[in-house]
Amino acid sequence: MNTLKGTLPQEETSTAMVFDIQRFSLHDGPGVRTTVFFKGCPLRCLWCQNPESWKRPAEMAFYEQRCERCFACEPACPKDAIVRDAKHRIDFSRCDACGDCAAACMNEALRTIGKPWLLTTLFEEIVRDKDFFLDSGGGVTLSGGEPFLYPDFTLSLCAMLRQAGIHTLAETCGWFDSRLCELIAGSLDAVFFDIKHASASAHKTLTGKDNGLIIKNFMALCELMKDIQPRMPIVPGCNDDEENIRATATILRKAGKQSIHCLPYHSLGNDKLMRIQSSQAPAAIQPPTPTELERVKTIFKEEGIHAVLYS
Amino acid sequence: MQSCTHEALQKNDGITGERVRLLKKAVMDAAPGICTERALIWTEYFKRKENRSKPAVIGMAEALSEVLGRKGIAIHPGELIVGNFSSKRVGGSIYPELHGLPVMLDLFKFSGRETNPLRISLSEKLRLAGIVPFWMFRFLGIRAYRSIPKKVRLLFDQLIARYYLINEAGGISHFAPDYERLIAMGMDGFAQEADRLQAGVQKHSEEWNFYEGVKIIAEGVSCFGERYAELAERMSGTEPDTQRKAELQQIAQACRRVPRHGARSFVEAVQSLFLVQIALNLESLDNSVCPGRMDQYLYPYYEADLAKGIITREKAHEILCCFSIKMCEIVPVFSRHLTNFHGGMFNGQVVTIGGVDRDGKDAVNELSYIFLEIMDELRMRQPNYHARVHAGSPEEYLDKIFSILSAGSNSPALYCDEVIIETMRRNGYSLEDARDYTAVGCVEPVSQARSFSSTDAAIFNVPLMLEMALNKGLRFGRPFRSGAKTTAPEEMKTMEDVKAAFEKQLRYKLIDLMDDLQAIERANRDYHPTPLTSMLIRGCLDKGTCSTAGGAQYNFSGIQCVGPADTGDAMRAIEQSVFIEGKFSLRELAEKLKRNIPDDKDRTYLKRIKKFGNDCEEADRWVRYVIETFASTLSSLGPNTRGGKYVMGLYSVTAHEYFGRINGALPNGRRRSESFGSGISPSNGMDKEGPTAVLNSMNRLDFHAAGNGINFNMKFDPHSLRGPEGRKALASLVRTYFHRGGMQIQTNVLDPSILIEAKDNPKLYPHLLVRVSGYSAYFNDLTPAMKNELIRRSYLSCL
Repeated sequence: MNTLKGTLPQEETSTAMVFDIQRFSLHDGPGVRTTVFFKGCPLRCLWCQNPESWKRPAEMAFYEQRCERCFACEPACPKDAIVRDAKHRIDFSRCDACGDCAAACMNEALRTIGKPWLLTTLFEEIVRDKDFFLDSGGGVTLSGGEPFLYPDFTLSLCAMLRQAGIHTLAETCGWFDSRLCELIAGSLDAVFFDIKHASASAHKTLTGKDNGLIIKNFMALCELMKDIQPRMPIVPGCNDDEENIRATATILRKAGKQSIHCLPYHSLGNDKLMRIQSSQAPAAIQPPTPTELERVKTIFKEEGIHAVLYS
Repeated sequence: MQSCTHEALQKNDGITGERVRLLKKAVMDAAPGICTERALIWTEYFKRKENRSKPAVIGMAEALSEVLGRKGIAIHPGELIVGNFSSKRVGGSIYPELHGLPVMLDLFKFSGRETNPLRISLSEKLRLAGIVPFWMFRFLGIRAYRSIPKKVRLLFDQLIARYYLINEAGGISHFAPDYERLIAMGMDGFAQEADRLQAGVQKHSEEWNFYEGVKIIAEGVSCFGERYAELAERMSGTEPDTQRKAELQQIAQACRRVPRHGARSFVEAVQSLFLVQIALNLESLDNSVCPGRMDQYLYPYYEADLAKGIITREKAHEILCCFSIKMCEIVPVFSRHLTNFHGGMFNGQVVTIGGVDRDGKDAVNELSYIFLEIMDELRMRQPNYHARVHAGSPEEYLDKIFSILSAGSNSPALYCDEVIIETMRRNGYSLEDARDYTAVGCVEPVSQARSFSSTDAAIFNVPLMLEMALNKGLRFGRPFRSGAKTTAPEEMKTMEDVKAAFEKQLRYKLIDLMDDLQAIERANRDYHPTPLTSMLIRGCLDKGTCSTAGGAQYNFSGIQCVGPADTGDAMRAIEQSVFIEGKFSLRELAEKLKRNIPDDKDRTYLKRIKKFGNDCEEADRWVRYVIETFASTLSSLGPNTRGGKYVMGLYSVTAHEYFGRINGALPNGRRRSESFGSGISPSNGMDKEGPTAVLNSMNRLDFHAAGNGINFNMKFDPHSLRGPEGRKALASLVRTYFHRGGMQIQTNVLDPSILIEAKDNPKLYPHLLVRVSGYSAYFNDLTPAMKNELIRRSYLSCL
């Protein structure tokens, strides 16, 4: 991660891959927020709700239920990568994600996921809703993927937003170069930090990476900044066992944290897997029931941690 | 996902008290019907030879007094506020001298039709059919012009209503009566005033006749109240239940007193205004007779009763619930044609709460809160509850409003005091009178007790002007020119040329509209003066002039600009595709439109050009152009025959759907007969960037141009507004929108699945409320096309 050498602020021509910008987000931090989803992620969580965020480069997606089988995409594709399959339209071995098929598609059944955003353009896009941020105590949330895959870009963006008086928050998986911690603490107002599993080996099985670096970064950030909120997806059968919850609570206590935000797993990511090129099979996980969530909450409580359940 | 709407339906237990529950059930279960009394008694009166030569204003006063004296009256079990609009528990009247004759063309279709069926028995139908010949050449529309060809042209024009529909042909109404003075001094007070003023004018002069009419109807309305007193006395004599017996005695006492005299208590005040509300609805158009700022003028009575210890907060709440339910016992009787424009069984009786008082101080009081509770609790079609908001509105008041709205209730609609008061000031209202505004009808601001603004005078099809501008003054596919002759598209070299052609078509057809409308205005003045209405509008008695002749202190006429977003989007699409990208020539584009955009690729291309509502300056400025052009053209065409300005309204009720159906394709990618966007809302399904983007676009418009109000209907899926975050976010959206110059907003929290179920199974959700263009209606009252539109829109917003 040699980008750290770069000096802030970044040049205006600097870009990052972003696959979605959601205005009027109400459940990613306080107030009315604009959430920016960066493309690219170091983890491969089994339960991922945004699998289209994994790879950095742009990619194509096919929304089968929107397709009216007009095949306007066929002649538009320069790589001959359109297939007339019932469920699929793209031969990913040929596709280079040029996006010509999406431009030709009349039903938005074919779409390009991800496009490079200039720092200044993204800043202007976010600032559009400044009035609502200021009134509601909201701001911008950097999400993904992993926003700190583009450290220079995101930190410069935050510096610009802060200058404009806009609250900045990042949702991170925690897997980034530890040298970033100080810069993050210095340029962001708040961080939502995921602790997906307390055990290194389980973390590796579930997400593809062990949690050594993540826990290290978490501890370091907790030292450096006040507004850092631990979060945890509640994934039945993966991380909701009592042992893990108690171990997670121990980490939190060590970091001096008294609360955790619990995000119940949902299966909305499964459909996405069908639409993009992915070797991952949809997870056979059932969303947790309210009783299960209450059980998690109770265990945390016994450990002296206040768990906030998201809906 | 638990739906808020569904919760609302299950929420019946939120209703306080068995009485209110039973009254609501009785009204909701009653099948709406047509009442023949008004039509038949009115006809009998005017058939009498001696009545035909009387001055019109005296004829009207006598005819209405006769209706009030002879119509059937009833007091239903449990009622505390009495009075019946019609002979049916829920019913509507026919006004044969106004729009009643065209309505009666549908006489044999009312009970069978799919949308808004109305019950009527065979003998009632036959009796109504019997009066058709008498009114055939006497109803208002046919009296508007003297020349027969003009008569015929106007009638046919209005039967199809391609360019505009003149609602004023059905009477005017649309005002907020001076209930404050009515409650204080009663009908006798007005009669005495008229008597005093009459002494100063020449006998049998117009003024003298007007005062005579006022005196006659004041007596007629007083006697109407006394009929209820007698009935209540009779009923109490035989009532076995002691509690009900006492209630009936109290009702008798109240009706013995009001509306003849001033009210002595809160319950008498409400009773007085409700009886007059009935009488006003029987005088002229039964639409938008609006009690207005009830929390303000009733408060002194509430306060006095509290001090005397003769009322509690709970009792006041119950009385106002009884009143609110009574307001739902009236329905409009529209032909199917009129239902296209005014869907949803909507009488537009507005009650407005909150806002500032005449001195600019916040006016929220305990009654404002009681009304907020009632609108949430009852969630019925009428009255239309609106809430005024200003920078100094109390937190508690706002919290209550936003928790009601975010939980899925569609009432109240919200109005921004700062913007509306400034708009009214610019149109000539004094600061105090502007501060004392209430909405009438759907969304139109007027000064309580002082304005006679025919706010729903006409609705105008704006996108059609662009269609004709692109086709030398012809509608697509028509052999003859019906608009102004303008340049052929191949000759138009810049957007300025397109604008010039559009402006010429607009002006041409607005002038046509004015000619017809003013003929109707004169007909209303000459053949249908309204002494009772005039008595209750300040200025009329002083001047000795009827409201239809300009007696009111403030006079306006509202003309609605329908389809501004579609028209603006279409102009933006022309600019982008023809003059920026050069994708087609203007002639090619016009040819494609004439052929209804046959190629899907062209359509997709046109649809993808950014539209109004997506926070895109290039698109938004075209909508701004359309509304400003419409408003300035209108203001150059006044005054109306009552001496008032023509002002623009940006609401459409359901006319956007009707006009959409008859218009050809538009350059924004909309094909022939697709609906336009409602009011000033973005065109259908085109707001893709969420609520903050929509509001940023909205705030690029200058609403001071819309003197007749706007309807901005904003939809939310219930999931995104869940929890306390949702409530806070909604409050923040509205606050920011108002702070930046927003005028009005109605929120619409929808769950698509509920709507589909309700569409397929109306019985499953018989009382489902939705908001369409500035009014609350039950889902089942909408046409299938509107149901589909709502379902489609709510799905889009959930994608």
